[in-house]
Amino acid sequence: MTERPMPKDPRVQALIKHAMQSKVTRRTLLATAGAGAVVAGLAACAPGGSSAISPAKDTSASEKTLRWANWPLYIDVDDAGAYPTLVAFQEQSGITVDYQEAISSNEDFYAVVKDQLELGQDIGYDLMTLTDYFAARMVRRGVVQPIDMAAMPNVKANLSPALANITYDPGRQYSIPWQSGLTGLGWNNADFPGGMTSIDELWDPLLKGKITLLNSWTDTIGLIMQSQGVNIDESWGQDQFDAALEVVKKQVADRQVRAFTGNNYSEEFASGNITAAMVWSGDLFIMNTEAQSDKYGFAVPEKGGYLWSDNFMIPMGAPHKANAEELINYYYDPAVAAQVAAYVNFITPVVGAQEEMMKFDPALASNPLIFPDAATLARSHAFRQLTPEEDSAYSIAFEKAKVA
Amino acid sequence: MAFAAFANTAQAVDAAPRKSSKIALVLLAPGLAYLALFFLTPLVALILTSLQAPALYGDMGEYVYAFRWENYVAVVNEYGETFLRSFGYALIATMAALLISYPIAYFIGVRARKWPAIQAIALILVIAPFFISFLLRTLAWKQIFSDDSWTMETLKALSILGPDAHFTGTPFAVIFGLTYNFIPFMTLPIYTTLERLDTRYLEASGDLYARPSTTFFKVTLPLSMPGIVSGTLLTFIPASGDYINASGDFLGGPSTQMVGNAIQSNFLVILQYPAAAALSIMLMAVILVIVAIYVKRSGTEDLI
Amino acid sequence: MATGTFAESGADLELVGITKRFPGFTAIENLDLFIPAGSFFALLGPSGCGKTTTLRLVAGLEEPTEGKILIGGKDVTNMKSYQRPVNTVFQSYALFPHMTVLENVAFGLHRRGIKDAVAKAHEALILVELDHVANRKPQQLSGGQQQRVALARAVVNRPALLLLDEPLGALDLKLRRQMQLELKAIQTEVGLTFLHVTHDQEEAMTMADTVAVMNKGRIEQMGAPQELYELPRTAFVASFLGQSNLFTGQVVASTSDTISLDIAGNHIVVPKARAARHTGLVTVGVRPEKLTLHTETQTHDAGQNVLTGGVVKDVSFSGVSTQYIVSFPDVGDIVVFAQNMVFGPVVHEGAIVSVSWNIERGFGIEDHPEQAGKFVPDDNTASIAVAQRKALSAELEGA
Repeated sequence: MTERPMPKDPRVQALIKHAMQSKVTRRTLLATAGAGAVVAGLAACAPGGSSAISPAKDTSASEKTLRWANWPLYIDVDDAGAYPTLVAFQEQSGITVDYQEAISSNEDFYAVVKDQLELGQDIGYDLMTLTDYFAARMVRRGVVQPIDMAAMPNVKANLSPALANITYDPGRQYSIPWQSGLTGLGWNNADFPGGMTSIDELWDPLLKGKITLLNSWTDTIGLIMQSQGVNIDESWGQDQFDAALEVVKKQVADRQVRAFTGNNYSEEFASGNITAAMVWSGDLFIMNTEAQSDKYGFAVPEKGGYLWSDNFMIPMGAPHKANAEELINYYYDPAVAAQVAAYVNFITPVVGAQEEMMKFDPALASNPLIFPDAATLARSHAFRQLTPEEDSAYSIAFEKAKVA
Repeated sequence: MAFAAFANTAQAVDAAPRKSSKIALVLLAPGLAYLALFFLTPLVALILTSLQAPALYGDMGEYVYAFRWENYVAVVNEYGETFLRSFGYALIATMAALLISYPIAYFIGVRARKWPAIQAIALILVIAPFFISFLLRTLAWKQIFSDDSWTMETLKALSILGPDAHFTGTPFAVIFGLTYNFIPFMTLPIYTTLERLDTRYLEASGDLYARPSTTFFKVTLPLSMPGIVSGTLLTFIPASGDYINASGDFLGGPSTQMVGNAIQSNFLVILQYPAAAALSIMLMAVILVIVAIYVKRSGTEDLI
Repeated sequence: MATGTFAESGADLELVGITKRFPGFTAIENLDLFIPAGSFFALLGPSGCGKTTTLRLVAGLEEPTEGKILIGGKDVTNMKSYQRPVNTVFQSYALFPHMTVLENVAFGLHRRGIKDAVAKAHEALILVELDHVANRKPQQLSGGQQQRVALARAVVNRPALLLLDEPLGALDLKLRRQMQLELKAIQTEVGLTFLHVTHDQEEAMTMADTVAVMNKGRIEQMGAPQELYELPRTAFVASFLGQSNLFTGQVVASTSDTISLDIAGNHIVVPKARAARHTGLVTVGVRPEKLTLHTETQTHDAGQNVLTGGVVKDVSFSGVSTQYIVSFPDVGDIVVFAQNMVFGPVVHEGAIVSVSWNIERGFGIEDHPEQAGKFVPDDNTASIAVAQRKALSAELEGA
């Protein structure tokens, strides 16, 4: 999935660069650990077909603690390694936050917590941050607690209207966006100076073996479906999906596609393995910051981009719901959101954050990768609500199409 | 002749009389309990999972216990080619590792006996890669053979590779990675047997008119079979189940999927636990059969 | 080496000026040796004397630093071991553990491309009476059986020269005796040249036509076993090959046939023909079994040497004979072996006795036992202990 921005301080940049070199290692290591959990998971595999589970008793009043599972480098960090916004929150709320960079991929995280989660038991976190397609599953399966909007005035006031009514969770009863991003096209300006405006340019024979697509089917198929004129947040069906999937199959069979990646396409770009790819907006910002030039270009295809979010959710067995809501509310303060956005470089779902950022970093505040213009947002969509059958069938079909 | 005089010394070596005492059972108990808990239980759970059927009106990843043998049929139909590819890659990697490891092990274990310091240094060099994460080393190779690397530029400049050729994402890269990563597992067991190789057998062979090459094939090689067998098993088994090298994040690509990758994708991504479990069981079963045939044919049952 | 054929008969072995140096020490110093075809030659010496190195040089397992090796008159110095018409029965047997007994025996035949290798291997196994275990692995056999397989494996090739490297060392006494006779019988039967290396003097004397006693990388004395025993030329040979009583003294008289030594006032006569030196300080000796023990004073023949006034220090009974240690003032301890002709020992500790021997039984050697003394620690742990104790007490006295 997604990541962080570059602070200006060169020492910090050096530190982050160092940290990022080990990023893939950490991610893949976690993947290995996830596979280890396969055995444990299978051994403990409870029969499916969840009986209804109910929220755990909220002990927030007596226990001023909160355990938050988030992605690596997905929050502001200062030179001392502390999280300034989180420190401020702890001071003002009196809640001790146990912040864990526990999520390296939605799939791996789910594999680890799945059994407790499905049984409504405490998974060890009161708050987790998962991407749309996974959040949709969580909501659909009823394994997350309803969130009380009344307890979060900032969210009510500042949640971006574009995200307020996601189809899998109308009215945002179970999930609140943490950060958002756009899936679009990225290219190396040196090797592909013309830039791209359409997915079809990825299939240029000159780029054979020099492109990557994204691992998750929602990103890749979402972009292709839109290029075929399908509006993904409205009604579409198997035929439209199959048409998009055919494109993937063909390009894999033709060896046009070098690999399917997560955000490690940045290394593929850096080592010259690829010239263009499906990418996430924030990553391109970081790659350019690292290269200290506009080495890479990014565009949302004219026929439409894919807008996604990582969302706060409270597992059914989490006993600190009120504390979690207090934290979510805090991060919907535009000033706080601007601070975070200035660090992570993805799109903040908090209205007013751009104005706040203007106050301390006007250049950043006018960067379209962080605050995309209205036109870009207008042609970017999220997926409509999927039935379990669709989710399952499409995931499986895409997974098989990835293999030649 | 007079040898009959001491024919009584010619008795066969008898097996020591077996005593099954209660103490032995008590001593075995912790080990058996451990095996039951950490080997049998997961295995049974895995088998049960592999037979599960999708829950009625269930969501992704929701299954109920059943006896759906069709899961195996489905897996064989769908992943037959992947299995062949896995074992093919593993076999080639094992052979390559053997060809590379044997001379190294021979040098360390036999030739360098007179110089313990050189022996120690060479052993450290063999083991040294273990000090660095397996994943990091594999990624390093990905860097070394990336399209813009000087390695690839040189190979292209020398016309060894075509101008548009790339290394990562190809079967060759995956086999290369498997070979590289498992070489220590091949070298160390062979070294261990060669290190104990009694060079007096080699002298005896030379004394019996065998040229050095004949001595190698008739004496040294057969006597190092236990090491070769353990080395090839230690390489082949993990290599056939490996999912790192063939992964698109490392040296593989869309056309190099191995069984390990299929299991990972079924388990983690599309939540098809029965298929993942059935694949694991199949992998285990096929490996067991291959290993059994191999050990039987190499005639080293009593040596390993 | 003629491929595909057997050696017709044994071949001569000749070592010319062989020197072998290892880093830090010299194992063999300028050794010349000639072993005639068809003989059974034993190289006898304590461990570390260079005898095994000599054998390995002949087998081609080591290269000489200097010198030449000739087999059947042909220079093989630069030939590899597999090219030499030589086979070895190793001390460890070195039977290939991954092959059956039959495969072991047929190994050399196959390498030389000899026809009917398997049939010939069976014949060799029949010769050593082990054909019934042909399909077993060596480790399923007893030590004696393994030794016989090793012998068959070497002999089956009919080598011009068969090398035996202490092949009987691992066997128990009874089996060793039996094997000694058998080896000798096989050698006579097949007519090959045998070079047998051993540290067991009895084994060497039982089996060999010619024995060479080796010490410190040199051959001290070479000859037929009886000759070496009856007439040792050096103190080392006298004490390594059996036991000897040695006396050192000045020659005080001499006739045309004999010399006479003064040993602490006693006169010891030795025939000149049996003495290496005839004047000055000379060491003479006599074997313990040549001595006769007397309890009463009696007159002696002129042909006898007599020592009187000895005290019996120790009596040890060993069945066939009894060993007495008799202490003579100023002369030292003398060992006497007496056949047990009657029931038990004839004298006991503390008895006053005299000993006598026929002067024809004495011998005179080239050197003196003081010189020989330095060799003793090589193979005798008891003497090392004594030497250490002496050194310690000297140190204590000095302090």
